[in-house]
Parts: sequence; C-alpha cells; structure tokens
Amino acid sequence: MEFFSQTYVALRGPTGAPQTPTEIISKLSDRLSPATLLADRRAAVLSLKGLARDCRQEVGEMALPGLLDVLFNDAEVDAEIGKAVLETLDTLCDTEDVTSGSRESGFKYTDKVVASDKTTHFLFALLADSYVRLPTLQFLTTLLHNRRQVIQSYFLTAPAGPGSIIAVLEDKRDVIRNEAITMVQALISQSPDIQKVLAFEGAFEKLFNIITQEGGVDGGLVAQSALTCVDGLLRFNNSNQSYFRETSLPPVLCALLQFPVSLDIQTTAPQEFALQFWDTDKQANTSLIVGIMGMLVGSKGHGVQETLPYTRCLIEMALASNAPTALKIQALRLLPTNINFPLSEISLTPYVPVPDTNGEEWDRLELASALDALIELAIHGEYNGLDAGKRTKESLELRTAAASVFENFVRKDEIRQAIVQSMVPPEDPDSPQRSRTTPLLHALASPPNTASALEPADVISTHIATLMFSHLLRSSPRAKASARLIIPGPLQPTHDQASNFFVPADGTPAEPAQEEPEDEDEPQTLLQILTENLSLALLSRSRTNASDREAREWDRYVVGYLCLLSQWLWEDPKSVKDFLDAGGLGVLVEPINQTSEVDSVVPGLCSFLLGICYEYNRQPGEITRATIHPIINRLSVDMLIGQMARFREDERFKSVGPDSIVLSFPPPSLQPSVKPAVGTLDEGEIWFDWAFVDFWKSNYYTVQRGFSTDPDQLSSSAGMHLSEELNGHHADLLSGQSAEATMLIASLRDVIRQQTGEIESLQKRLNEVNNVESQVAELQKQVESLHSQLASSETKRKDVEKEQEDLLVLLDEVTSKRRKDKARLREAGLEVSEDEADDDDDDDDEE
Amino acid sequence: MAGITWHYVFKFIITGDPAVGKSSLLVRLTDQRFLANPDPTLGVEFGSKLITIPEDNKVVKLQCWDTAGQETFRAITRSYYRGAAGCLLVYDVTSRDSFEHLRTWLADVRKHADPHVSCILVGNKVDLCDEPTPSGASAPPTSSNSPNTSSSASSIIKSSKSSASPSKVKRRSREVSYEEAELWAKQEGLLFVEASAKSGLNVEQAFVDASRDILEKIKKGVFDDDRSPGVKQSLPNSALVDGSAVKSTCCA
Repeated sequence: MEFFSQTYVALRGPTGAPQTPTEIISKLSDRLSPATLLADRRAAVLSLKGLARDCRQEVGEMALPGLLDVLFNDAEVDAEIGKAVLETLDTLCDTEDVTSGSRESGFKYTDKVVASDKTTHFLFALLADSYVRLPTLQFLTTLLHNRRQVIQSYFLTAPAGPGSIIAVLEDKRDVIRNEAITMVQALISQSPDIQKVLAFEGAFEKLFNIITQEGGVDGGLVAQSALTCVDGLLRFNNSNQSYFRETSLPPVLCALLQFPVSLDIQTTAPQEFALQFWDTDKQANTSLIVGIMGMLVGSKGHGVQETLPYTRCLIEMALASNAPTALKIQALRLLPTNINFPLSEISLTPYVPVPDTNGEEWDRLELASALDALIELAIHGEYNGLDAGKRTKESLELRTAAASVFENFVRKDEIRQAIVQSMVPPEDPDSPQRSRTTPLLHALASPPNTASALEPADVISTHIATLMFSHLLRSSPRAKASARLIIPGPLQPTHDQASNFFVPADGTPAEPAQEEPEDEDEPQTLLQILTENLSLALLSRSRTNASDREAREWDRYVVGYLCLLSQWLWEDPKSVKDFLDAGGLGVLVEPINQTSEVDSVVPGLCSFLLGICYEYNRQPGEITRATIHPIINRLSVDMLIGQMARFREDERFKSVGPDSIVLSFPPPSLQPSVKPAVGTLDEGEIWFDWAFVDFWKSNYYTVQRGFSTDPDQLSSSAGMHLSEELNGHHADLLSGQSAEATMLIASLRDVIRQQTGEIESLQKRLNEVNNVESQVAELQKQVESLHSQLASSETKRKDVEKEQEDLLVLLDEVTSKRRKDKARLREAGLEVSEDEADDDDDDDDEE
Repeated sequence: MAGITWHYVFKFIITGDPAVGKSSLLVRLTDQRFLANPDPTLGVEFGSKLITIPEDNKVVKLQCWDTAGQETFRAITRSYYRGAAGCLLVYDVTSRDSFEHLRTWLADVRKHADPHVSCILVGNKVDLCDEPTPSGASAPPTSSNSPNTSSSASSIIKSSKSSASPSKVKRRSREVSYEEAELWAKQEGLLFVEASAKSGLNVEQAFVDASRDILEKIKKGVFDDDRSPGVKQSLPNSALVDGSAVKSTCCA
C-alpha cells in the first residue's frame, strides 16, 4: 500500500490537477522499462494491478508488453513483483466476466500472451519457484481456459514442462496443490500426448497420494478433482490404461470403496462394503471411481482376470448394498455388454432397510445368487419392492438397467436355453407336472387383478417380466420351443406377493399354495395363460368406468403382453398355432376394429401381431391361413397398415432410445392438464424397450407385406411374389435390396432352424446311442465276469473230477485188494459174506 | 491385480529414427511376435514385461515407452527422456542414415535425460543381412548371457546364428558393420548389441543387458536420491492400500 500511495502522489504531480486514467497508465507503463529501479517497477506493477480491473482496456493496450518484460526479467528475482505481475496479467486475460467487450478483450490479450511459446515456457519454468507458484498456476489456468490447444502444444515443447507439473502436485500447501489439480485438468483435456507424458512422469501416483491424503471417497472436493484428473488421464487413452494396470494402483481403486481386492468367488462381500453412510461428497467421489472401474472393465483387449474384481465390485454395489440409487444405476450400466461373469455362481447378501429407522438399520436377507438378486431387482424393485408403487423415474431407471444387464447376460444361447429349460416342468407322462415357480415366471403369469383397483407395483412387475422374458426368447427357436412347454404352477394373487418377504428365485414362494388348486380341467401352458391375460386386460381396458390413469395402466399390461407375444411368435409356426388355438385371433381382432382417436399403440401392436400370426401360420391345424385371410380382408389391409403407421408415430414409441427407455410421466402432451404437485418426486413410466423397438423396425415391413399375400402363397418374401411386386410397382432399388436381404435372411434362418432341429434330434440320437453303448459295455462286462466265473467253476469242476477219478482209482485198488483179501480169507477158511461183494460198487461214494 | 512379483520397476524408452523397428522390438519383447507392417507410432506407446536377471536373482518389471521416430513428435518424445532409467538407441543395420542420426538422438538423450540413464545401442534388422557380413570374419555376433555389467561398452562376443531361413523376401545389404557400431558404442560409453525383431534374436538380451547395468548402478547407490522416477523398488508386502507406498523409490 505504501508504494501505491507514493506512486499516486508522484503521478498526481505538483499541481494536484486530476489526470485521466490514460495518462496515469501511460506513465506507469513507461516505468516498467528495465532502466528504472526495481523498486520503481514494483510500484508501477502494483499500481497497474489496481487499475487493471477498472481500466482493463487501457492497461491492456499500453502496459501488456511492459508487463511481459517485467515477468521475464524480474519475476524470478523478486517474488513480490512476480506475484503482482502475474495477477495483473491474469486479470487482463480473464474471460469469466461476461460484460460486453471484456470477454473479447480477454481473448485478445490472451492471444498476445500466447503469440509465441516464450511466455508459456517461462511460466512452466516459473512453477519451480515456490513463491510465485500460486499466481503462476492461476494464470496458466486462465490461459488454458481461453486458448487450450495452443498452450497444450507449447507445453509439449517446454523443457521444464512435465517435471514441474509433478512437482506442484506434490506441493505441501493445499491451496497450491488444489490449484494445480484444476490446471492439470484443463491441461490434459483431449490431449492423449500430454496424458501419456504426465502418466510417464508419475502423475497417477501423485494423484492417488492426494486422494488418499484427503481421505479417499470421503475426501470432498479436492479428492473429487483429483479423481476427475485420473479419469481424464485414462479415458480414451489405451496406452495409459495399460500403463495404469501395470502400476500398483488398480487395487487401490477397490480399496477406496472398501471393497476387498482379492475376494474369492465363494466368499461374500463384507458388510462394511455393503452398508455405508452416504453423503453427497462421497457419492460424487464414488461415482467417479465407479466410472473409472467401468471404463477399465469395458476397454477391450485386457484379461478377464484383471477386471474381475471390478466387475464383482460393480455387481455387489448394485445388488447388495445401500449405495444411493444413482450409483447403482451407474454401476449396472457400466457392466460390459458382453458380460461373461458367472452371475449365478456368486452369492451375495441383499439388505433391506428396517422400517422407520431412517436408513440406519438394515436387515440382512438370506444369501441369494447374483442372478436371482438381479432378476429380483428388476421385477420387484430396489430393497425387495419397497416403494415400488411410487414409480419414481430413478427407481425405474434402476430396474430397467438391471433388465438390460439380464439381456446382456442371456445373450449367449446356452445361458438363455438353460434358464428357459429350468422353467420347463420335468417330463413325467403319468402325472403332468407344473413348472417351478420362479419370480420371473410368477410375475409374468400372474393374472391382472380385475376385482379391485390396479396395484401400480404389480403392473410394472408384470411389464418388466414380459421385457425380460422377451430377452430370453428373442430369435432363439430353441428357447421358444422350450418355452411352449412351460406350465406355470398355481399363482397367488399378486397383491399379496408384493408385500411378501424376499423369495429366492430358485425356491418356491414363501407360502405354498395351501388351498389345493381347485383343479380347472387342465393346467394351462404359459402361452395360454398369456393369451388369456391379454384378453382380460383388453376387456378391462374397454370398461367405460375406468379413469384415464387406470386405462393407461391397462394399456401398459396390454402392451407388455403384445410385445412379448410378437417376439415369441415371430418365425415360430408352432407357437403361432398354440396362440391361435388358445383363441388369440379373436382377442386381436376386437381392438383393431375399435378405431379410437386417442389410442394408437394398442391397435397398432394388435395389427402387428395379427400380421405375424398370418405370416407364420404354417402348421396344419384348425385355424389356417385360409381362415385368417378373409378376416384380414374384412379389416382391410390398408387399415391394418394405417394402424401400424400410427403406432410408429406415437411418442411413447418414438422417444425410446438405446439408453433411455424410461419416459417421464405425465408425458409432455398431457402436462398442461395434469400439473404435477410441487415437491413430488420425478415420476416415470416405461412402455417399450430398445430391443423391441429394434425388433419392430427391422420386421414391420415384412409383416406389412405379408398382409397382402394369398393364403396358399409361401412366405411373403418368397421369390415369385417379390419379382412380381417389383415389376408391378417399380419398387425402388432400396426396398428391393432390403427385400432381397430379408428373403435371404429368411431362407438362411430357415436353414438354420432346420439345422438346429436336426442337431437337436441328432444330439438326442447320440445320447441314445451313447446309452446303448454304455449298455453294451455293461453287458460286455457282465459277460466277462460270467466268463471268468464260468472258467473258475470249470477248473473247480475239473479239480473235483480229477479228485473223483483218483478216488475211483483208489477205490478200485481197495476193492481189488479186498477181493484178494476175501479170497485169501476164504482160502484161510474164514467166513466171508458173499452179498457184500456185489454191493461194493454201489457203495463207492460212501467210502 | 495379483500380488507384486517383481523387485524393481525400470522405465525404459526406445528411441531412434523412424522405421528402424522400435515398435517391433517392443512387441517382440512383450508379445513374442513380429509386428510385420506397423503404422508409424503416434507420440508414444506403452508396453511392459517382466524379466529375470539370474545373477542377482532379481525380477524386474520393464515399463517401456516406445517413442515416435518422426520429427514432428520430437518435442513430445523428449519429455520421456527425463525419468527414464534405461534407453534403447535403435538403428537399422541396413541404413547408414539411421546410424548417423544416432548422434543427434544421443545428444538429445544426454541433454534431457537423467545423467545416470543406461543406454544401449541396438542395431536392428540383422535378419535382413545375415549371410556374409562385410567384416567377413564372423557372422553377426550376439551378446552373451554371461555377466558383463561392469564394463559398459564391450559385450562378450560369441558367434552364433546360422539358422536363419535361406530365402529372404528382400535382402538388403548391410550398411553399418558390427565393428564400426561397436567402436562408436565404446567411444560413447554405450552398451551394444545387434538384434532382430523379426527373428527375436537378442531382443530380450538388449533389455537384460541394460537392466543389468541399471542394477549395477543401483548397487553403487546412484539412484539413492529420491528424485529419479525411473526406478522403483517393490516394498515388502507391497502395501497396496496405502497410496504413499508408491512414493518411495529404490534403495540399494
């Protein structure tokens, strides 16, 4: 301040006459020349610093070159002048101020400063001087903010560049370190080269030091910006990612989240990971770490082993922790689309909050496999369906995220087949069995509750179940064939079920069906039940007394069933037959005929499904293509196509994207009439998932064309018909190509289907043959053992025979001896019994 | 993410003219395969490899930064010299120019790198000219496995390598003789080896030689000051959770 007043006094001049700022600034600028004393220059810089804010224009125009000279010459010598000149320059180049002109002048002065690399290089070198570090960093941040790319290119040529950055990251003073992180964030942005250079210099280690020092995820803003830096160094930078893996840091990421690094696949995650206290800072930091983990999991070309702990950590966080919902959504979405994680082998412990404890006490539920927990989460919602009825956008996001993880998981045909197969009841010709009731099957097959008001939680459960079941069946003839055999067990009305305690997916529901199912004539297959439920929902929907809101819920049921059925019946004549036999045709025709202005979704979908039924009704049966054809004609093909076109225009269909299937409720079109009450949570709703939209878009054309084929014609894409159509209508090349492609695909699919069938039958045969073989082997073994037995008894027999012979010989000898003896006795005149001699031979054995 | 299985981490840089085979050397080292037609490196690429130095019974993790040879990236690649513990100066034995230019590359390294950096001169692509060499006396020699760390320049020479495939697609004549390169290496105090990324000859050897040299320096206490980020020692029990563990560098 002393300099300041002195200078002003000096400048004011003896007369005390007021001077214009221009005059003052020009005088001050003159004083910046190196000729004047250091003290004078210092005073001039300090004055200019004061003036820079108010008279930015003048100071910039007149003093900028002088200020830069001072920077080069004096900043290293005198910390005070260095600090002042840096702050002045920073003020001049600042573009944060949005008042007219000042932004432009800020950019203008920045351009002057960065006209050559000299200033930038000097600034990076100046970072070594710990007295002026802070203003240097601030000035660099400002320059980077204004002209990032130029500074970045200068940085790469700066001799002192990378080293100085690392040094400031190690600065013990918090202020400087934090400013350094901000600067580094800007510096590495979109520059893989700088990212690599800094990684080479050990930036990862330094940043993680900061994070740990700050207290990890509880570390607040500083840890957050350090984590952002780490993220910036890694994202889209393969080289750095592989370098990062080489360091000792990957396990630290897990450790920061309290997740044990080397968790055996059999052991469950510890409770201190699952149950934590969350605040906003922690959530933000955790979200960054989760993001980094997801990036490392998702990047290609790295071993599964390395990323396994991350995948596990993400899964545990999403399925068995009390982490905020937003984090769970993020964790689920970051799981790779080609997930090959043994979900069913991992056991985890889900928790639910104890009611009325404000999230401070938690109940531990019984162990469940990760797959079951995932299905549970999708179908019933977070914490076992707590608050599922409220349908906040967030909770729906979470559940659909879980459903898409499921979709990715069942992408492998073996897995989906195994899951569907497990729902098929065991084959037993004597007493037809029911399928085991899994939560998925239960939610899918539960009939809509027509007696009382609809429970929103049930609707959404059933709807999500239809989405997930579609994932299992879509374009898998094998899965469809197995699914036809599913006979769901007796179902409890769902409104009890929702409040039920957690039911492990592989167990039976908590309360077994007490009342013996008052046996309706025959157990229904899943496809029959779905058809029936669809018909029920369509009927209830048309009830006149239903409120708007309720009608919308019924629509949702209908949409769920229709979407699932379309994907199920597509290219599967046997399923089509089952559906038609269950009375599907009548169910569909009714709503198509009821043209209402309001609703386009249901009629459109019904037309679509009807088209699929017609197209793929290739099995002999009661209802043939010839039966359907007149119905289509009566409805008129134009009308059907029109319904489908209207469907495509519906907002609910159009606004679905690959990553966003949850729409806000009430929709914008209804908003003016229904004002959401202030303070209510964001409400959302689901109609279609992307998989269905994709399915529709690739197939609706085939269905449309199918309407106009004759009943006795082959598939609508068959060659004759196509060429006729092409000739007749001069169809444009594009559609021709796509038609050709469709045809090709269809024929290939046929081939594949046949082959799959063949493979299956062959496999069965093989199994049989194997069985026979094993039988043969067994028999052979038996024969062998019999042989050996035979041989042994033979030898035994021979032994015995030989013995017998010996005995006979002996006997013979004895007999002859006896005869002689008798003869001798007779000769000797002793009495000998005559008859005895005759008996001798008979008595052989006795002897 | 398994436990740490190394005693030291050394940062290496690979530098030299464009298209002398720097990236191929690295890929040969890390993946044991030959990178046939690589694109020019942009900036820098990273690769790593565990090697064992049998004499010291030490496992060393090499973190190799393969730099771009092109002039446009010179500024970037210079940033890597600082903080490297080892440096491979690569030239192409069939290109005189690439050898001549090494003077500038070496000057660069001397200027920007740590004064203690261990440099090894690597003549690459010997597979292209492995029939008679200009020196006539012997086939291209390979550096031996015997410990040879104290004298930095001369490697014990052992003639070997006659099993190269007889028909080469393109054979080019050698333009830099083994003797000449060896002499220059001696003058400049560099280690020296001739190698082939294609056949894999001497590739790992080059890194092992350089690592041995660095280990020797560590024993002498050269890297004791905490400054060099190029050498790191694993700590017992590798206190992973503690972020500060990574801070400490090696000690003898």
